[in-house]
Amino acid sequence: MNFYSPAAHILPAVDAQPARLELRDLRKKLGDTAAVNGIDLRVAPGESVVLLGPSGCGKTTTLRMVAGFLQPEGGEIHLDGKLASSASFALPPEKRHLGMVFQTYAVWPHKTVADNVGYGLVVAGKKRAEIEREVAAVLDLVQLGDLAKRYPSELSGGQQQRVALARALATKPTLLLLDEPLSNLDASLRQEMRFELRALQKRIGITTLYVTHDQDEALVLADRVVVMNKGRIEQVGTPEQVYRTPASRFVGNFVGTANLLEGAIVTVDRAAGRVSVALDAGDIATARASAGWLATATPGQRATLLLRPEDIRFDRPEKPDQQTGLDVQFVSAAFLGSRYELQLTAKDTPLRVQSRTPGTFTDGRARLWFRPDSAWVVA
Amino acid sequence: MSSATLFTDDPRNVPDSPALLQRLSGIQPVKLLVIGFAIVVLLALIAYPLALLIGYSLIDAQGNLTFDTFEKAFNRRGMWAATVNSTVLVGLVTAGACALGIPLAWIVARTDAPGKILVTLAAGISFVIPSFISVVSWIFLAAPNSGYLNKLAVEYLGFTQAPFNIMSFGGLVFIEIIGVYPLVFFAVSAALHNVDASNEQAARVLGAGRLRTTLTITLPLVRPAILSAIILVMLDALSSFGAPAAIGTMANFSVITTKIYDLLKFPPQFNYAAAVAMPIMVFTAVSLLIQKYAVRAENFRTLTGKATSAQITILGRWRWLAAGFGIVVVFATAVLPVGALLLLSVLSSFGTDVSLSNLVTKHYALIFDADFVARGSIINSLLLALATATVCAGLGLVLGWVVERVKFFGREAITFLVMIAYGFPSIAYAVGILMGYVNLFYGTLTLILIAYAGKLLPIAFVLVRNGIQQLSTDLEEAARISGAGWLRSVRDVTFPLVRGAVGIAWVLVFSLSLRELSMSAILSQADTQVMPTVVIQFIEDGAIELAAALSVVIVTVSLSILGLIRFFSRKKTAVVS
Repeated sequence: MNFYSPAAHILPAVDAQPARLELRDLRKKLGDTAAVNGIDLRVAPGESVVLLGPSGCGKTTTLRMVAGFLQPEGGEIHLDGKLASSASFALPPEKRHLGMVFQTYAVWPHKTVADNVGYGLVVAGKKRAEIEREVAAVLDLVQLGDLAKRYPSELSGGQQQRVALARALATKPTLLLLDEPLSNLDASLRQEMRFELRALQKRIGITTLYVTHDQDEALVLADRVVVMNKGRIEQVGTPEQVYRTPASRFVGNFVGTANLLEGAIVTVDRAAGRVSVALDAGDIATARASAGWLATATPGQRATLLLRPEDIRFDRPEKPDQQTGLDVQFVSAAFLGSRYELQLTAKDTPLRVQSRTPGTFTDGRARLWFRPDSAWVVA
Repeated sequence: MSSATLFTDDPRNVPDSPALLQRLSGIQPVKLLVIGFAIVVLLALIAYPLALLIGYSLIDAQGNLTFDTFEKAFNRRGMWAATVNSTVLVGLVTAGACALGIPLAWIVARTDAPGKILVTLAAGISFVIPSFISVVSWIFLAAPNSGYLNKLAVEYLGFTQAPFNIMSFGGLVFIEIIGVYPLVFFAVSAALHNVDASNEQAARVLGAGRLRTTLTITLPLVRPAILSAIILVMLDALSSFGAPAAIGTMANFSVITTKIYDLLKFPPQFNYAAAVAMPIMVFTAVSLLIQKYAVRAENFRTLTGKATSAQITILGRWRWLAAGFGIVVVFATAVLPVGALLLLSVLSSFGTDVSLSNLVTKHYALIFDADFVARGSIINSLLLALATATVCAGLGLVLGWVVERVKFFGREAITFLVMIAYGFPSIAYAVGILMGYVNLFYGTLTLILIAYAGKLLPIAFVLVRNGIQQLSTDLEEAARISGAGWLRSVRDVTFPLVRGAVGIAWVLVFSLSLRELSMSAILSQADTQVMPTVVIQFIEDGAIELAAALSVVIVTVSLSILGLIRFFSRKKTAVVS
């Protein structure tokens, strides 16, 4: 499939290129609240960046500013190094050469699939034969080739979704914006489409800015995840980084399930990037931490350890990060097919544990061990 | 060519602040022009005449703020009597419309009485026929001596004198009631249909009987609909002009609206007319505010569910009483008037016996005669209706879009202005138009067009705006992202998707223009007569058969045009929300 070849040849050495999209200290108020409160972000050519956050975090507002539907009150948006939006200037959406997939699909009900997909090409004044060829190519790309003459009302939700995607890709935009495109699909289709979108994005190498509140979706689709909260960026990183080394409690809680164990620092080992912490729940555990945090950490200071449910086990590892193992009390358990989901408490701290085995409890108590190198200090 | 290649310039060449050329590319001239033009037209149509009206009534010849004008205007002979008449008329018509409309609505929506479709149909017909045409029918039926119902009563039922007199205040009340009761009927039956059955079932489960449930649950739930309808009925009765003018002339009484009309006869006294119109304006404004803040707030909360068969009350033998009530209403409000109108239009002269030999077509021949005033009025009416419908649909589309899609401080003002025009009594509005544009457009159809367009714009605006409201903004944004400019996105996406609403708006405005009387009476001159003013002229001249023939033309054209709604309502494609 060479559908996207025109986009491929404009990918020379990355250093010589301006960022495909650059946000500088972007700000926007909706009503009295600062919906977007100072955002800086660079998206490199070919990169897939996902804005992830709860509703009201400003991610959709940011996307709509990039599209040109909202004008920022402060800061600037640059597309391919050219100013597109600032407080005093806004390039109209139609002049930004973007593709966008809407949450509602926004497939025009009065046009056939082919007319929907070809619309941008018609507006651009392309010749009829060329339009037909390109529409056919992009419909093949999303596997809708045989539905070109149908009307949207005759299509399923998933098919309408593909039409919306095809329409966004047909004009070969430099940047593809997706606003929670999968949220209206049912669960199984949503899972399938995640991987399909990811494969498509990598195959045609299109730069993508994707908005979602679904962390699984973000992890699948992103080269880099931007976790947002209350109009600000909490963390930018690869999916592994935001999951394993979250920059804040918020990120830890929002991306996956977090067990947070508080305690007091016993020793600091800056060279190894570790601290050992006497947990309030009992036991002393070693954990990794960011260099920035370590620089100011001193013994006696409070610290919070993050542990993922799948990183807590019943078996003692060969070289444990703990001294005695965590003494826990059984609360409840559920069998979820691939695993057991256990609710426990360690002293008064609630713990969630995912385990292949139901575990063995004596008088309702057991000792738990962290997977080596998995504990992380979230400040 | 992919425009991406345009953007591969060296970043160092890109200035931090946008260059002039780039700045210009951010402006959307067509959009600004179209929207600006529509807003200017709106201000000229509605804000300007209203401002003049208020100004004239509050400012004296020397330009000082004064209430003298009110004092003098209301001290004129007969003015207080007219005010009292108007008040009594409003009271009686409102009570009568409720007494008729609410029970009928309940029978149709909630009982097993037969003939429900007939009742609904009759209400529709009654609603479509303007009151000045009802007057024509009822003169035929119930004129003091020559009315055919009176003749029947005296000859066959043993009455010693004619029992009915339509040419009286009571007759006016009756005609107004049958003209406006459909408002109550339709509003309340729709509301009853929408009350979720579970609300009532919950009360029944808790032990409330059927009657108690109706009184404590159902009625309170439809109260907002009743209140809304009452407000509309009151405004309608207060600002009605056609029937009061026709009957008042013959029975020698006045109401406020006919007094305003008199004040504009030569020599016109604009400031007095404006002052007399002021109480109607104030009443209208207050009613609309009540409607907006008290009634509507409640409305949204309650009407959500779907009606079920479980809510149908089995009337038993009472159902025949209900059916009888329905049949009487059907006859009195639809069958008799329409039949009378058709018969009168072909009867050789009013008062002769109804027999085959007395049926003629000469009235229609005269109506369409090239040398007679009626034909010119038909052409004028059709031209005006065409122009008004087109102007209103176009303006409604642009303004509806602006209000729904552009976030700026003026959008509330636009809605407010348009809705003011909706509630505003026609007669007062026409006074404002006359003051504002008489020098520019004296004696032209343009003057009447301005008035029609301003007064009927709200109907187009509300319909088209609702259509746009139902369209997801994404649909247009998707067009913008695909590279279409504003105008093109409206043309390619918005308009095709709200075409149905725009079409219905066009048809309704067309039909309402044809029957508009109050403004036409004030604004039309010898060369710009329209069908309704000619009908009134015929009534006043005693040429009641000609009035009937021309009325039949109005009703026929209105009804056939309204038939087009079916065409526009047909949905070709499903709308994705």
